[in-house]
Amino acid sequence: MKAFGALHPLVLFCYFIAVLFLSAFTSHPVLLALSLLGAVCFWATLEQGGGFWRSMGYYAVLFLLIAVTNPLFSHNGVTPLFFLNGNPVTLEAILMGIDIAALMVSIIFWCKCYSLVMTSDKFLYLFGRIVPKLSLVLSMALRFIPLFQNQAQRVGRAQKAMGLYAGTSYVDKLRGGLRVFSVMVTWSLENAVDTGDSMRARGYGLKGRTSFSLFRFTLRDGVFLAGTAILFAAVLAGMRMGYLHFTFYPEVAPVQTALAAIWCYVCYGLLAFLPFILETEENLKWIYSVSKI
Amino acid sequence: MDLFRIENLSFRYPAAEKNALSEISLSVEGGSFVVLCGQSGCGKTTLLKMLKRELSPHGSRSGEIFYNGLCLQELSERKSACEIGYVLQNPESQTVTDKVWHELAFGLENMGAPTSVIRRRVGEMASFFGIQDWFRKNTSELSGGQKQLLNLASIMVMQPKVLILDEPTSQLDPIAAADFIATLQKLNKDLGLTILLAEHRLEEVFPIADRVLVMEEGGIAAYEPPRSVERALREKNPAHPMLKALPSAVRIFCGVDRIGDCPLTVKEGRRYLSEHWSENPPCVPPAAYMPGGEPALELKEVWFRYSRDLPDVLRGVTFSVCKGESFCILGGNGTGKTTMLDIAAGLRKAYRGKVLVAGKPLKEYRGGELYRHHLALLPQNPQTVFLKKTVEADFEEICKVMEYSAQERADMIESVSARLGIEPLQKQHPYDLSGGEQQKCALAKMLLLRPRILLLDEPTKGIDAFAKLQLLEIIRELKKDGIAIVTVTHDVEFACMAADRCALFFDGEIVSDDVPRRFFAENNFYTTAANRIARHLDPFAVTVEDVVAFCRGGK
Repeated sequence: MKAFGALHPLVLFCYFIAVLFLSAFTSHPVLLALSLLGAVCFWATLEQGGGFWRSMGYYAVLFLLIAVTNPLFSHNGVTPLFFLNGNPVTLEAILMGIDIAALMVSIIFWCKCYSLVMTSDKFLYLFGRIVPKLSLVLSMALRFIPLFQNQAQRVGRAQKAMGLYAGTSYVDKLRGGLRVFSVMVTWSLENAVDTGDSMRARGYGLKGRTSFSLFRFTLRDGVFLAGTAILFAAVLAGMRMGYLHFTFYPEVAPVQTALAAIWCYVCYGLLAFLPFILETEENLKWIYSVSKI
Repeated sequence: MDLFRIENLSFRYPAAEKNALSEISLSVEGGSFVVLCGQSGCGKTTLLKMLKRELSPHGSRSGEIFYNGLCLQELSERKSACEIGYVLQNPESQTVTDKVWHELAFGLENMGAPTSVIRRRVGEMASFFGIQDWFRKNTSELSGGQKQLLNLASIMVMQPKVLILDEPTSQLDPIAAADFIATLQKLNKDLGLTILLAEHRLEEVFPIADRVLVMEEGGIAAYEPPRSVERALREKNPAHPMLKALPSAVRIFCGVDRIGDCPLTVKEGRRYLSEHWSENPPCVPPAAYMPGGEPALELKEVWFRYSRDLPDVLRGVTFSVCKGESFCILGGNGTGKTTMLDIAAGLRKAYRGKVLVAGKPLKEYRGGELYRHHLALLPQNPQTVFLKKTVEADFEEICKVMEYSAQERADMIESVSARLGIEPLQKQHPYDLSGGEQQKCALAKMLLLRPRILLLDEPTKGIDAFAKLQLLEIIRELKKDGIAIVTVTHDVEFACMAADRCALFFDGEIVSDDVPRRFFAENNFYTTAANRIARHLDPFAVTVEDVVAFCRGGK
């Protein structure tokens, strides 16, 4: 979490786009295997303990379900293994099923990692630069929601303590809720007047507003961004040149072993394992420095 | 050099009958600490807002305000926003963004400062205010005191020359308020910052002020150094209402015919009493508490926690309150006092122990039965009680719910309103009332329920000294009707006057209870200022009146 997540939001965002793009637009089993493993390893560094094993169990079941679905519905392929209700279940269809499962589960895992690493403030920072007003509005909204909830609860409790609509029927509850909501609208407006005063008092609305953030783009971020771009470009070039072409039907194609293809696998593997490598490196550093003490 | 010079300033809100400010002339010296006080509605807020151009209310005005020799209207927008800082009353609603660091940077962003400058100034201010530990938190996770400190810090990053604060501590508990005031004093002393502070809790700010501005009905009643305020007010009117709002030491001085110099702090008050009245015999200790009467509300061994894995909030709370008795529970912030009231009011359920209302277990009250003629809870924020567009409509509604007949309804509303003196407020929107007025109207709404037990949660929060005295009168009246009153408060001054019996709530239980004078005589720290002034001579003198009586008793 610490090592990779501490990179600049721009780097993180580009990285996830690159990985997701490559995983989504390939059906090559080697690439998908690398992608899945990379994602799971990264997930393991983010979510330790019981949570990790619980989600692993859940996704293993999902993986199997997807893998089984394909041969049930697709009967292409030249190697029938057995017949089910008079339909052939082929080796090719099973392998294709596993491939699709790997594709889907790896994308799910990458998305889970994304949501843990790219927190809302990082996202806001990135897209707030395009529309500066929007990022302030979002930030204000995020402040306002808990405030509103709190006040609504307080009003609800105060009303209940007067015995108003304390009945158990749904109509009563709904009416009580509506009444509280209507007064909350008034409250929100009152609150907005104060907030507006406080903004004007601090010079909001003057020309040339800048937008500050805690993130800094360092040399390290530059290196990672460049690395991601190079690996991404290399794999993309490999795809364009046909080294990463793979078919299941009618017969499973052999995995290419040309030097260029192997280079593509290495590049993709590096890309997929980048966060894991980074995290592990830092963990090892910690263990090492602790053992020195 | 005068930082602010106000000349013949008058102001009237549109459609108002009277001037909100009339003919005000005064000057504020650079680097001084000025405290504004006066009854609510005396024009404090209007005057302060006039000094901050961005917040100046609309209306007809005459007269001039000069800032640093320059007419306020001619000041550039940037200068005005940066140099004159303004902190509002409510800590929550003036926070703009969701993150602490963003809130700190907000003003500088508006000024168009580059990132490197913002980074430096935000860092500097966060360190000065001790914010570094919660720098990356969400603003919604902060306590009230932290929020108000953040609001102050986010103005200080703009490096203002003068700081204007409108009752910044009224929503804070006493400890957070004292911290906040101490920070202001530090800013004034260490940075030479000019401070204009409107306050109604004068005990702490009075001694540190360079000058005190007492306002009344839009004009100036006194603008003096703190030691001469009392004299100035008495010269104007020997029974000036503001005399009752001054700090205990000053009120004692005022009550004992003013020999020598006016003491301001507890320390000076103690020395003052020792000098003049150390020979006086102490009062007779009051009688111990005698339980008696029919119990109205009883809590027996009540245990509570919010969820299974969280620690216990209440650990065996036991107390009982009799009919017509006023019981005050004191205790620190966040100790579970409000939770205890929620349990007594049936809003939360204890997992062990019993609550008896009029001898009957709480469980046996079905539906809204408990709230009909039995028990009412006035929450900490009286605003939450109102749902309608006018106070009157709210009253009407509650009467309808209680199924009073039309005649009965009109009579009830009239008698309760007359009792609390709120008839003129009935046509107004509840949110437009001042804190004290809201409190009274909310209390009136509770009384329409005709409760036998009244639970009050921090009733003195955000109200001024006069509203407090009125509330005291109301409580005394209600007691005569046989209503049992349970008050939870931080306000020791109020508790010692309002209670028949006081108790200390600590660590999830009630650790001591006794009649106020004995209760506070036992405490060393958790007691009134008057008691701290006089306790070395007479430990049982708790209120200012007690101390004055002690002094006079010797003569």
